[in-house]
Amino acid sequence: MFTRVLSIFSRKPKEQSDESYYTAGQLSLIKDRFKSKTSGVIAGWILALLVTVSFFAPFFSPVDPTINGADSEYRRGAPQWIHMSDENGFSLRPFVYTYSKEKAKIDFKALSGAGGLAALDALTSGDALTSSSQNKYIIDKDKRRYLQFFVKGWEYSLIDLSVGSLNLDIRWDRHLVGVDNGELHIMGTDEDGKDVFSRSIHAIWITLSIAVVALIVKLFFSLLVGGVSGYFGGRVDAILMSFTEAVRVIPPIPIYLACAVALAEIDLTPVQRYFAIAVVIGALDFAALGRRLRTHILTERNQDYILAAQLCGSSTWRIIWQHLVPSFGSYIIVDTLINFPYVILAETSLSFLGLGLTEPVNSLGVLLQKAQDPDIQQNMIWQFFPVALFVALIMAFVFVGDALRDAADPYAEKS
Amino acid sequence: MKVEYQNRTLVFMRIIRAKTSFEDHIVIADFIADTWLLWILVSVGGFLFWRGQSSQYFGYVFNRYLLALMTLLIVSGIVFSLMEVLPGDCAEKYIAYKSTQGETITQADIAAERARMGLDQPLVVRWGQWVTNLTLRGDLGFSCAKRQSVNLALGDRFWMSFWFCIAALVFSYVIAVPFGILSAFTINKDWTDKNPQNTKAERIINSIGLSLQKFIDLQLRIISYLGLALPNFLLALTIILLYVFAGEPAPTGLFSNEFRDVPWFGEDGFDFAKLNDFLGHIWLPIFVIGWSATALQLQTVRALVVDETNKLYVDAARARGVRGAALWAGYPVRHSISPLFNSVGFDFQRVFNDLPIVAIVIGLTDGAALLIEALALTNDQELAAAILFLVALVVISMNFITDIVLAAIDPRVRTSVMGG
Repeated sequence: MFTRVLSIFSRKPKEQSDESYYTAGQLSLIKDRFKSKTSGVIAGWILALLVTVSFFAPFFSPVDPTINGADSEYRRGAPQWIHMSDENGFSLRPFVYTYSKEKAKIDFKALSGAGGLAALDALTSGDALTSSSQNKYIIDKDKRRYLQFFVKGWEYSLIDLSVGSLNLDIRWDRHLVGVDNGELHIMGTDEDGKDVFSRSIHAIWITLSIAVVALIVKLFFSLLVGGVSGYFGGRVDAILMSFTEAVRVIPPIPIYLACAVALAEIDLTPVQRYFAIAVVIGALDFAALGRRLRTHILTERNQDYILAAQLCGSSTWRIIWQHLVPSFGSYIIVDTLINFPYVILAETSLSFLGLGLTEPVNSLGVLLQKAQDPDIQQNMIWQFFPVALFVALIMAFVFVGDALRDAADPYAEKS
Repeated sequence: MKVEYQNRTLVFMRIIRAKTSFEDHIVIADFIADTWLLWILVSVGGFLFWRGQSSQYFGYVFNRYLLALMTLLIVSGIVFSLMEVLPGDCAEKYIAYKSTQGETITQADIAAERARMGLDQPLVVRWGQWVTNLTLRGDLGFSCAKRQSVNLALGDRFWMSFWFCIAALVFSYVIAVPFGILSAFTINKDWTDKNPQNTKAERIINSIGLSLQKFIDLQLRIISYLGLALPNFLLALTIILLYVFAGEPAPTGLFSNEFRDVPWFGEDGFDFAKLNDFLGHIWLPIFVIGWSATALQLQTVRALVVDETNKLYVDAARARGVRGAALWAGYPVRHSISPLFNSVGFDFQRVFNDLPIVAIVIGLTDGAALLIEALALTNDQELAAAILFLVALVVISMNFITDIVLAAIDPRVRTSVMGG
């Protein structure tokens, strides 16, 4: 039964004629083998879902995640559950109740009156001032707010394709869900009244884009070091490799820290800091991949097909781009995907120490950093929602990476 | 610094001009005490070189030894120059301290202080001095924030971090190696047995076995990857929080208060209560960093074993009729051990990487916490550089040891590195 359920998710490998199998390119072979890994396919779908939702985050989020969208009437508010039916009857259209905050009842009159110290004592020992009482809210079950789809809301930029003076910024103001009256907080709000759900899905994209920038920078440096070292060999190779070896043995997070401290001294806008951090993370991570590429190129450059290309009069660049790069292209793609979670973790550890991105920016690291606040741990457990998303994201990446690694193994087929 | 150098030249001159044997004695003792590390390094190198003349193996060890020393030199250069990016320097800090004492200070004071500390010299000169002091007597420099030599400030703390990392490594190996092998074993298997040669009952039984294996593999992978996906600091915090909710004292630090000042060996022999308390505290950092290291370890073991499984010698063994556990344990698993052993050094580096943040959350006062303090709070360049250098030293020594051990016991490595 269980296997039957799983077999729905994984498509059976098609019966291939021998010819198409042997003429298939490496990428299509990998794709075909990947489809037979059940856990990888499931993780891939989850990953695709997360990436899509985060890329179109403004469309999917019901509330503006910045301070402009903060709901001052519903600070520290709990998640508003979506219902379909209750004791007042069933409704085909999902709805949420109307929530209103209970005003803190601080009896100043008793203080100003004859009470004096005794009244003050009663006030401080009562629960009017404790933070848990700030989370109290009144649910009005009779006032239903119905969910609406494709509602008009704040305007946002769907995709910004502007290049230079060419203005191709596509703007839209429709959102997937909303309610007819007030704001919808599926995952509650934080202490400023910002919507946790909207912040989280915006944060995923920021974090992913840092990882993408970092990985591109890393790829560039790895290709540079590995390529130069492998192609020229000899003394250049020896010097570059001893340097790479030295970089490899130093633990990276303290180095990121040192660079982040140095960056904190420079006055940067949030966007610049964001890119600087990505570049630092990427640039210091070239050692492992660079070494692999160098070994690969060292063995490949003596192969017959390179000699044949040289005899045909191909230039060095042509040999590198047309012959060498395709031979390890799939390896690079797989390695990059496997490294995604580690880069994301590096970003979050920096943010945890307050040295990465900081508060007004929505990154997963910033949101995770908030989770260490005892106030949030005890009174606003819904702010752990980004943690759940983070765990799902990392797990999806690791499982996809595993499946891809297995799929990219050219010898896997025969056993 | 300069005074020290004058002292050293004096020592040399005194050696040359030494008259009485008694004076000789003292001077030579001083000289040895000042340069002991260099003599050890040189004599080890000399011994290896001498043996290397007659034995190919020792020739290889000598090469590795030189390579390790050179890597260390480059590492010290990288670390030392990277620490330059930290804002401020020793002179500024010292003067800033003075100004809190009510003295008025000028830019000229800072410049004078810099000149006194030798900070006005170019980076290369300062690095050269640092390396010279280090190779002569293992002196790691002076920590400005702590106002004492780095060796004193670090003390046993580095060893504490070292043993934490080793314990976490052992923890992750104990979990990752067997489960990684199991994972590799189930990797290309189907959920169901479709072999037409088996009878239907056999196929059902085999299918149940296979599904169970796949299922266990999936569960184990999910659990071990959770260690990676749950950020270390959050995991440590959550565990501490659970203790708080349960109303028990959280296992932060190394000892509970009542055991902090109790000696290990009391009046009635070894104090087991203290050991118990100690173990009750150290499991938390070890568990947290060990769990997160497990994921990568498991991936590595899995990939290594799968790589080996697909090689021709395994097919050959299968063709000879070796089956089941004997085939697995004797062929692919056995051969994937040596690359795993070879990566111990880098695994240590990876584990140490995670330690500082966990140490901060749990409130440890080990070398890793000191590193974060030096980097992010006090900007103590030489202390941070020294700790990073020590970590690199451990990694490089581990790589050196695993390399020479593998060359001694693994015939494949021996032939590849020594050409027969």
